[in-house]
This record gives sequence, C-alpha cells and structure tokens, in this order.
Amino acid sequence: MSRVVRAAVFQTAWTGDKESMIQVHEQAARDAAAQGAQVLCFQELFYGPYFCQVQDKKFYEYAEQIPDGPIVKRFQVLARELGIVLILPMYEEEQPGVLYNTAAVIDADGSYLGKYRKTHIPQVQGFWEKFYFRPGHSDWPVFETAAGKIGVYICYDRHFPEGWRALGLAGAEIVFNPSATSRGLSAYLWQLEQPAAAVANEYFVGAINRVGVEELGDNDFYGTSYFVDPEAQFVGEVASDKDTELVVRDLDMAKLREVRDRWQFYRDRAPGAYTPLTAP
Amino acid sequence: MTVTTAVPAPEPALSVRQILALERVAAGEPEVVAGAGQLDRPVRWVHVAEAADVGVMLNGGEMVLTTGVLLAGDARIQTEYIRSLDRAEAAAVVLGLGRAFPAPPESMRRAAERCGMPMVVLHRPFPFAELTEEVQSRLVRRKFAAVSLSEAVRTALTGLITSGAPLQRLLDEIAGHSACPVVLTNLAHRVLATAGERSAVDDVLRDWERIARQAGGNEGDGWIRADIGGRGEQWGRLMLCGYRGDIETGRLLADRGAEALVLHRLLGGTVAAWEEQSAQSLLTDVLSGVVPARQLLPRARAAGLPVNRRTFVPLVVRDGDSGRLGRVLRLLGMPGLVAELADGFTAVLLSLARDQDADALAVHFAARLRTGGGSRPVVAAAAPRTAWEDVPAGLREALHVAEATADTPVDQDLPVLVRLRDVRLRGLVRLLRDDPHVQAFAERELDGLLCGGGDGDPDLLPVLRTYLATGRNKSLTAQLHHVSRPALYRRLEAIEARLGVDLDDFEQAASLHIALLAHDAQRR
Repeated sequence: MSRVVRAAVFQTAWTGDKESMIQVHEQAARDAAAQGAQVLCFQELFYGPYFCQVQDKKFYEYAEQIPDGPIVKRFQVLARELGIVLILPMYEEEQPGVLYNTAAVIDADGSYLGKYRKTHIPQVQGFWEKFYFRPGHSDWPVFETAAGKIGVYICYDRHFPEGWRALGLAGAEIVFNPSATSRGLSAYLWQLEQPAAAVANEYFVGAINRVGVEELGDNDFYGTSYFVDPEAQFVGEVASDKDTELVVRDLDMAKLREVRDRWQFYRDRAPGAYTPLTAP
Repeated sequence: MTVTTAVPAPEPALSVRQILALERVAAGEPEVVAGAGQLDRPVRWVHVAEAADVGVMLNGGEMVLTTGVLLAGDARIQTEYIRSLDRAEAAAVVLGLGRAFPAPPESMRRAAERCGMPMVVLHRPFPFAELTEEVQSRLVRRKFAAVSLSEAVRTALTGLITSGAPLQRLLDEIAGHSACPVVLTNLAHRVLATAGERSAVDDVLRDWERIARQAGGNEGDGWIRADIGGRGEQWGRLMLCGYRGDIETGRLLADRGAEALVLHRLLGGTVAAWEEQSAQSLLTDVLSGVVPARQLLPRARAAGLPVNRRTFVPLVVRDGDSGRLGRVLRLLGMPGLVAELADGFTAVLLSLARDQDADALAVHFAARLRTGGGSRPVVAAAAPRTAWEDVPAGLREALHVAEATADTPVDQDLPVLVRLRDVRLRGLVRLLRDDPHVQAFAERELDGLLCGGGDGDPDLLPVLRTYLATGRNKSLTAQLHHVSRPALYRRLEAIEARLGVDLDDFEQAASLHIALLAHDAQRR
C-alpha cells in the first residue's frame, strides 16, 4: 500500500487588513482539515498585501519574529488542534533592520520545525523586494513533518534551478512554492517552471499564487495554484485565476519512486563537472 | 484577438506525385530518376528557369522546369545547379530531354539523389507552357476553393453569433463542416462542450485524458488544435478530433471556429458561462435518465469531475445563486459540478475521496452557504452514492427533497442539510401529488373552502393552513394573522361549517392537513 499524502494550498485576495486576513487563513486551515488534508501551505507574505509593489518603510511593521512572534504562536495552536502541518510564508524580523522573506514550518502537533528564508530577492518593476528583504542563506532545509519531507522555495526562487535541486538532494518529497506573481509578468512561466522542476528533481511541487488587484499597484495576481507530480502532470485541476480557492489533492508517493526508478537523474548527475556553477 | 495553430497554414498545394500523374503531363513520359522517396513534397508553384544560378530566383516550394541548354558539357555546373535548387528549397526539378541532353546526365542525377531532390526527366518533347498552365490553374483553383470555404464558414458562424446563437450551435456548425468530433476545452483540458456524431464524440471522451495530454502533438493523424484567446490571455482550445480531410482544410476550419468562439466570448459569453453550460447539460442528462448513467461517465470525467473511487453526494439547492455555489465549492476545495435547473433549483454534485466523511462535508458546505449574509438557500441532500450508476437516482431524490421544502419558510424547522427523512409527510405528498386519487381527495376535503360562493371568505384557507401547521395553536394562529382571538374563533367556526368537520377531532384535522399539503403541492 503506497503512502498517499493529502496536501493543500490556499490562494486568496487581500482583505484590506491583517487581522481579517489571518482569520481567512485560519478558516482555510479548518476547511482543509475538514477534508482530511495533512499539510497546508499559504501564499507568500500571507497575512499582508503584496507591499513590494511600492517602497515604503511603513510596511516594515508587518515583520514578526519567527518563531517567537504572535502569528507563529497562533498557528501553532491551530495546527495542534487540527492535526495539520502548516507552512506559513511570512515577513520575518530577526532584529530591527534585519528582515527576511521567510516561511515557517509547523508540524501537525504544533511544534515549530524551522524556517526557510527566501534566497533570491528580485528588484524589478512592481516587485521591489530588495527594499524589504535581505537574501536568506538557509542551506536548503527539508523538514521531516507528519506529512512527509517538505521543502519550501519562495516565489522568485523558482527561476533558479539550483535551489530546486538542492532541496531534492536533501530528500524533499513535496516542495511548496508560495508566490505573489502578476499576470503581465510571469503568466507564460507559471505552468512551465514548476512542472519542469518537478520533472528534473522527481518530486511533487505545490505552487501558490494570490489573486486579485490590490490597492498598492497594478499587479494582477492570477492565482491558478496547483499541484504537479514528478511526471509534470497536474494533480487534478489548476485553481481559478480570480477567486479564492482551497486546493486539496491526494499525492501518491508511489509515483515519486516509480519515476526515480525509471529515470536515474540523481545517480547520473555529475557534480564534479559543475564547479563553474559555484564560482563566484 | 489571437487565433493560432501549432504551425502556420501553408498555401494549398499539389504534391510532386500528383503533378506527375496529371494526364497532360503524362504525355511527356515523365520518369523519376532521383529523389523517388520525396515525391509527396508540396509544390507551391511551377517555374521555368535555365540559368545556372537558378536558386537566387526562387522562394522555395517550386517545381523547376529546364531544358538544360546552359548546363550541357560541364558536370560541375550541373551539380551546382542541383545544389542551388536544394539550397532554395525547391520542391523538384524537371529536365526535358532532347535539346541539351539525350539522356539524364549522371552528375545531375547523383547530386539530386544526394540532396533528396526529386529529379524527373521527360522523354518526349513537351511544351513547358502547357505544364505550367495546367499546374498553375489547378493551384489557383485550390487557393480559391480554400478562400471560398473559409469565407463560407466565417459567414455562417458570424451570422449565428449576430443572431445570438448559443455556443452549442456554433460548435454544431463547425462539426457540420469538419464531419468529425469537435471539442472545446478550457486550459485545464476540461471539456466544456462537444459537437459531432454522438457515438464518435463518446469514443473521444472515453479516451480523453490520453488525448488531452497529446493535444497538438500530431496533426498528421487529423487531430487539429486551435488556441482561443484575446487581450493577451489564452482561454481555451478547440480541437477537431480525427479530421479526415487534408490538414490545411482542417486547420482552416479550426481557425475559423476559434475566431468565432473568441467573438462569441467577447460579445458577452464568459469561460465561466461556458463551464456552467457544460455542467448544466451534463447534470440535466444525468437527472433525466434518458441516457444511461454509464454512458455519461466519460463526459463527467472530461468535465473535470473526479470519478474513480469516489463518493458522490447529490445535492439540490433552493434559492441559491449558481455562481456563489461554485465559489463556495472552490473556497472549501471540494471538487464538484454546479448546474442550474428550472424553478430556482440548482444541482450540485460533490465528488469526495472514499475516506472522507461525506455527510460531514456536505453539512460543512451547506453551513458555509449560510454565512456571509444575503439569501439563505435551502440545501437538500440525497444519501451519498459510491456507484456512479446510482447518481441519477440520488439527484432525483435530492430534487424531490428540495421541492418538498418549497412551502416551508427557510428558517422554520429545517436543518442545515435537509434529507428525505426531514420532509416526512410533505415529501410523500409531494411524490404523490400527480396521482388522480390524491387530487380527488384534496378537492373532496377542501371543496367547501375552494368553491367559495357568494359569502366566501378568501382568508379562510390561509387561516386553516396556519392553524393546522401550528399544531392547532389558536393564540399563535391569531397572532400570525393579526386578528383577535374572538375573531379567530369565528373564522374557525366558519371553516367547520363550510367543510362540515370538527377541527377538534384529530383524524378529521389530520385529513384536512394532508389535503392542504396535496393542494399546495399541486399548485407549485
């Protein structure tokens, strides 16, 4: 009997304030748990607007300590109550002036497992992230959760194949890619890069993108969150491009083994030949 | 607006083989001396050229005719002539023997063979003008026929759109021209609509997952795809499945069809509306029972409903907005189809994993519908079904329950999810409402109030209804009708007199109650 992980991702629109945004996500966790989901990942910077459309220091106040801030604590309680693994993409303050774009990982018993800090920080029109975040150097953590081995690769990270590979080498079975990305900019990449990463690294990918246009800019966040398997097949349908949606899918881990037995990418890779890739 | 196919449609062409088979050409006794494996190359035009550097004059796809007068005596020039044609991507070379060469020159033949260039020699003197006239006129006729077909299809589709024809009518028109199944999908490969001969369409849908993954892969087998989109967005795809004519014509039909669908959507249709129509057509067929459920399974799967090892929960919602129902399903992450039925009812078919608690999730869905303000729809449910074949009966049961609640105010005594057992007698009466015996019974019991008469009081029937519905509670009935208790007593006495009954007798009161339920059920 193969292991099936019921996994979920949640896409939604900015409600206009932080507290109601948190409540929407709490309800989503309850809805996912009602369906028997074992793990749920939220969208990038889940409880805020995508403030990187502007460069304004007032948004620094969205940053919290991880794991000692109130939001992580609040969702630890919820994770324990619902018995669900939660991945919380947040704005992290390590200390005043040292801020990261981070995802905290909470296990199904409410325990804090660790965090991944976004490695690649963009600075392009509508995505002024260098104003807000330092690049993370998290050494590609893979978290042993109740739902399996989970990695996180945040938004712009996805354009860089090296991190996907590092997470695969560290044993990830599912990699979540919480994002905030705009139709005009990346729609042509959205169903290309993550499926390609799933194929190249032979694991499942859960891709999440928020929806709607927010008051801070013209970015049209186009949702269409999905799970994709190691053969680049979407697991069920892709979510709406406009509406709030919870995506719950059964991921059959037998597929991972089956594909790796067929294609021996991990055996045949040649790290000794890749030295130029790590030259500064 | 964008309408694209995988490869730009080439102009209509004849192949080298087809040209050599023409009766007038055969008079020149053509013989293929090289490149015999390439005779199916399309010929776009026929060109007479003697110059050694012929390639610079060509655009590709030409059949070049030559007597070879400028090539005789120099093997190097002959070889270069062929190479030049090859570089220019000419389709073939035809050498008329007699003027310069009595026999095919070996250097030219070898060069043509190496390039894979069909080389044909004509053994009898043959006026090139005759050949060019014959071929060009055929090519022009083909082009004209293609343009003419394109215009005819476009005119027909535009006419349909401007007359407000529904999506299905457009697809039927396209299928009429293509004589093969036509499938419209959204970007997730969910089938939104189909047209064509039913059994052929069913064959396609049965194998849909595999076909959808290969879509656009091999047009040579008659699978022709056109993307549908506009304003920088792609919305869906149109597929001709197994088109048996030539690819160019198939592509032309797919393109015209895709253009029409873009226009249809820009003029008010939406992909969501297309998806809704698709679900509506499917669930209406499931409910009607005209088509066996098993035959509808491929359509359900193609419409995006998970059907393998699932539990199906048939629901019918009264006074629910179908758009909101779809949004709530997405919000909760529950796979399902939503389809508006008649008279304010909407069918929802949930598809859940076997290990999920179907009853609890159905209640979860119904409870969520009640939040967020606005109208409070009534959600009727049938027992969950694990076999697809049982889904039609389940949907009919849910519809029956929903109909049986129709006389009940939303807030009165109705659980969040209403089941057959909750509608009790009301449900039974609803089922039997068309029975002539039941109708006669209701008429008989209520005759004295229904006939009215000169001294008839139109308020008596509602008073009787309230009195019986409240369990013969006089003070509540008086309160609900805004009358004093003495006034109510007078009306109850009038009712007893008109009907000749004693309302304090339980059996007589129960009989009237059933008659009233039957009367009300018939009127809805």
